[in-house]
Amino acid sequence: MKSGRLLLALSIISRVGVVTILCALALLTHYHNLKSAYNHPRLVELSSGKTARFAYEYTDKFLSLFGEPEVEARKSGGMTWSIRLAGVPFTDPVAALSVLAKNHRWELGFALGLIIPLSLAFIFGRVFCSYICPASLLFFTISRIRKLLSPIFYFPDLKMNRGFSWGILAGGLVMAVYFSHGIWIFILPYFAVGQTIYAGIASGTLSVALGSLILFSALDLFLGKQFTCRYVCPTGRLLGFIGRKSPITIQRDASTCLDSCQSCIDVCPMKVQPKYDESIDCSICGECLTVCPPQCLSIGLRKKPTSTQT
Amino acid sequence: MVLPLIEKLPLVAQVKLRRFLRPPGAQKEALFLQNCIACGQCANVCPNQCIDLYGIEAGLENLGTPRITARAQACILCMACTQVCPTDALEKLEPTKEGKRAVQMGIAVLSEDLCYSFAGRTCGVCYRACPLPGEAMTIGLFEQPHVHAEHCIGCGLCEQACIKMPQAIRIIPRLELEETEATKAESS
Ligand code: SF4
Ligand code: SF4
Ligand code: SF4
Ligand code: SF4
Ligand code: SF4
Repeated sequence: MKSGRLLLALSIISRVGVVTILCALALLTHYHNLKSAYNHPRLVELSSGKTARFAYEYTDKFLSLFGEPEVEARKSGGMTWSIRLAGVPFTDPVAALSVLAKNHRWELGFALGLIIPLSLAFIFGRVFCSYICPASLLFFTISRIRKLLSPIFYFPDLKMNRGFSWGILAGGLVMAVYFSHGIWIFILPYFAVGQTIYAGIASGTLSVALGSLILFSALDLFLGKQFTCRYVCPTGRLLGFIGRKSPITIQRDASTCLDSCQSCIDVCPMKVQPKYDESIDCSICGECLTVCPPQCLSIGLRKKPTSTQT
Repeated sequence: MVLPLIEKLPLVAQVKLRRFLRPPGAQKEALFLQNCIACGQCANVCPNQCIDLYGIEAGLENLGTPRITARAQACILCMACTQVCPTDALEKLEPTKEGKRAVQMGIAVLSEDLCYSFAGRTCGVCYRACPLPGEAMTIGLFEQPHVHAEHCIGCGLCEQACIKMPQAIRIIPRLELEETEATKAESS
């Protein structure tokens, strides 16, 4: 129970961290501008005010810890879709598929960016969904709102076929081939969040992506807990598939598990059934660990299939 | 490449006249759209804040891709964006004379009837803004500017600098040049 709460807290902290990084990257656009236009705190204050000077000075100090500020600042940028942090590239596997479908080739740097996301998925399964995805913070909040209001309102919780999101992945790829890769902005919730944050902070405009975010939130609120994550978002499905045999996943101690209990199945936002030793799509969010009465669930090394069958 | 039926949807606005430039290093429009993943890293890194990202106004094709509005803020050819583009939608270029000469964003076209210099009022502001003076643009009597299309890279600095309202010098974006070339080839 304690470890479940810990995981839950960790997942919230790390996702808030990701959103903060996205905001900081968007703000970096202004820093680049101030740096190349004025390159002096006093001039920055004269042109853009005290707050800008404060932010400028501290960004400068922070970046000069690593080297020449202007050079260091250029090492980071982008959104969750394709991002560089301190020079390390991260590429969304869906972006890679999209480029492959349209172009039939990858640039080296772009392909290298796949290493970290794919290894994470191979080792931990769908952890991206609970610890990194900025959209899931929104969906997590909505699921808590559902829970809070459930005594007053009835919120349906639909179950559909998992094939639905594979269909959306295929549809998205076809769309990307006919249009351009930009259409993913409407399909992928985290890309929409990235666009909204970037447009809002760097250009001061409202992004069209906000529309799809509102749609996804409505789906989550009225159709089911984390409905978008389960049946719409192709990335989640893809990562779940890649990590279906991940060495680290949800574990059940069958000897203490209660026959009459269904708590973990009811609570799981991804509709995984830990009770039946299902682990595909588990995002290690820790929700089920917090509700299991005999505490027979844990996150750990996957047991050999022979022992799970007993 | 657009499906004929989908083209009829209101989402795919057929904006024929696009006064927007792509960042430097962009290849032919079709190739650019094929490569650009709409990641926004070019807009993120531009110290000149001249790149912004398309919304839905120019159709699904352009969604999230970068554009430059030269009259508002023209590209200063620092080449930062070409260095960070992860997919080679923007070819890597250096901010040197050679790098600048390799850029093809469009071609500047001067309307002599708007230009101050051609009306006898010596101006020459655009010439002073040009990053390739003497090559892309030369200057004659009364500071009258002359664009040399074969050397002009279409950066738009002259369009931004022009003190006439509306501007006497405009960039025809590469996309439009390609389209006119295609129609010419068709008709001949
Ligand atoms: S399924 Fe998609 S939207 Fe949901 S948490 Fe995972 S990546 Fe984010
Ligand atoms: S089984 Fe479900 S509730 Fe439990 S950790 Fe995995 S995703 Fe979360
Ligand atoms: S070359 Fe520099 S100024 Fe021009 S669009 Fe790229 S980053 Fe901006
Ligand atoms: S950095 Fe390259 S791929 Fe990304 S939006 Fe700009 S041109 Fe497109
Ligand atoms: S003539 Fe204008 S568009 Fe052409 S290179 Fe010079 S400043 Fe740039």
